[in-house]
Amino acid sequence: MGNHSSFDLRNLCGRSVSYSMLLMSVGLAACTMFLSSCSSGLPVQLESQKFEKDTVKYSILFIIHGDGDYLYHDTIGNEYKADEVALAGAKRVAQQNPYAEMFIFHQRPGRNFLLFFPLRDGEFYYYRNGRLIANEMYWRDQKQSNFDSEVELYRRFRANNQHDLINVFLYYGHEIPEFGGVGYDASYPDRTFTIHDLASGLNGFARDSTRFDLTVLSTCFGGTPYTIGALGSFTRTIIASPDNLHLSYFDLHPLERLDFSLRDGDVPAFAKRFAQQVYDRLTKDIQTAVSVAVYDVDRVQEFLLSVHKFYDNTLTTLKGKTQNSLATIEHCDCAELPAYILPIMNEGVDVFYRPSHFGRSKNKQSHSGWECWKY
Amino acid sequence: MKARLAFISIFIMFVFALPANAGGKGELQKYFSDVANKVKATENASEKRKILNESFQSMSKTLDKVQSLWLISEDDRVGIERLKATLKEKQDELEGSNGFEQVSDAQLNAFSNYVVQDMEQADQMITISLVTLLLIIILIVLLV
Repeated sequence: MGNHSSFDLRNLCGRSVSYSMLLMSVGLAACTMFLSSCSSGLPVQLESQKFEKDTVKYSILFIIHGDGDYLYHDTIGNEYKADEVALAGAKRVAQQNPYAEMFIFHQRPGRNFLLFFPLRDGEFYYYRNGRLIANEMYWRDQKQSNFDSEVELYRRFRANNQHDLINVFLYYGHEIPEFGGVGYDASYPDRTFTIHDLASGLNGFARDSTRFDLTVLSTCFGGTPYTIGALGSFTRTIIASPDNLHLSYFDLHPLERLDFSLRDGDVPAFAKRFAQQVYDRLTKDIQTAVSVAVYDVDRVQEFLLSVHKFYDNTLTTLKGKTQNSLATIEHCDCAELPAYILPIMNEGVDVFYRPSHFGRSKNKQSHSGWECWKY
Repeated sequence: MKARLAFISIFIMFVFALPANAGGKGELQKYFSDVANKVKATENASEKRKILNESFQSMSKTLDKVQSLWLISEDDRVGIERLKATLKEKQDELEGSNGFEQVSDAQLNAFSNYVVQDMEQADQMITISLVTLLLIIILIVLLV
């Protein structure tokens, strides 16, 4: 009996030791994961920075917003995360451009480790001459969203001869609100993010440089007079989707090998080729409307000045409405509103448009390239 | 026992640490993507119509049920109303009612893709909270 009891006791002790060891192992693994999540992914390779600066001709700055619902399916039902697909495309572009530097900022959903310890929610990649030079996790702005962290990293790594480079900026994400903007970041539900904030960010990136040569805004409803006006202060040519845009976004392949496709340095001509390729790719698989427009910022100024007052009044009216009444307000082609139908409306805008194959707008055969509000 | 509790607690913490937006709207999209796959796997046009029609009806019934729950916020009710209106338009187009030209038999596969893709635009049309979206998903699974 005594032996039996002592056997049970040993057995119990043994189990207790196993649990303790298991617990310690899990704790150790957890601590290791936590600590590794705080460190940079790849140490900065300063030497590579030094000797290859002269060979950089193109500077590409890419912000991918991934902090929201970004799931989509292809026509056979495979699931994709739009931000991850864009990131893979961006890395491919970086690797395929031997004469470019590329900054990639992936804004990821905020996550906590062991419920209480927040993890860094941004990942930065810096490529030069097709090679990855730096990769580190960073904290996105915790309060107002002005891209402060991104601007700091951009300034730390960018080539010195910015004025001699062709500068390209890309933003891939959900529609950026023109007012309000609460909840744009799923991880920061009380924070606002608007076109004004994006323009502030662009101002930060371009502060002591010239304007960006090209901005690619891959979001829904990017081609409004307000958005083009706000971003136009910091860029010469803009590619945007005035109407809805499927989450498969603008294809990034045209940005590969800029040393061939942009050899002549003619950015407006390249922008039109880019838009045409993006349009061809989207129309192949997408049943909803496809609209890609190229805006020559200097040439659209007259139209923007002419409609500025109308559009501002609209935004002021919309800002005064409740959330519930805003839910019923929709976008529309500015050409449907008499105040915007001006002889200069099409000046400086090239539009690639195909209507949705189904729905109320399936017979709409053209788009002015300018999107407004119908209320 | 304490060690076991601690182990379970750590496991739960890992689960909770998953991003909150991993579910929700994505599950709603998956529902329509599965419907589209069923439509495309079917040869018979009237069977395709039936699958689409039943999916719209099931989703609308679910949305009605969730909308009537006392715990649903006013903002979510508005979001649900908007989603219902979107679904109603698609159902009308499928049937050819309310001013819509009926979707032809040959276009049913493409129409099922359109339904999925229309939910997957890069805008922020669906402004329904995660909790409410999860409720919708749970109910649609129970009802179908």
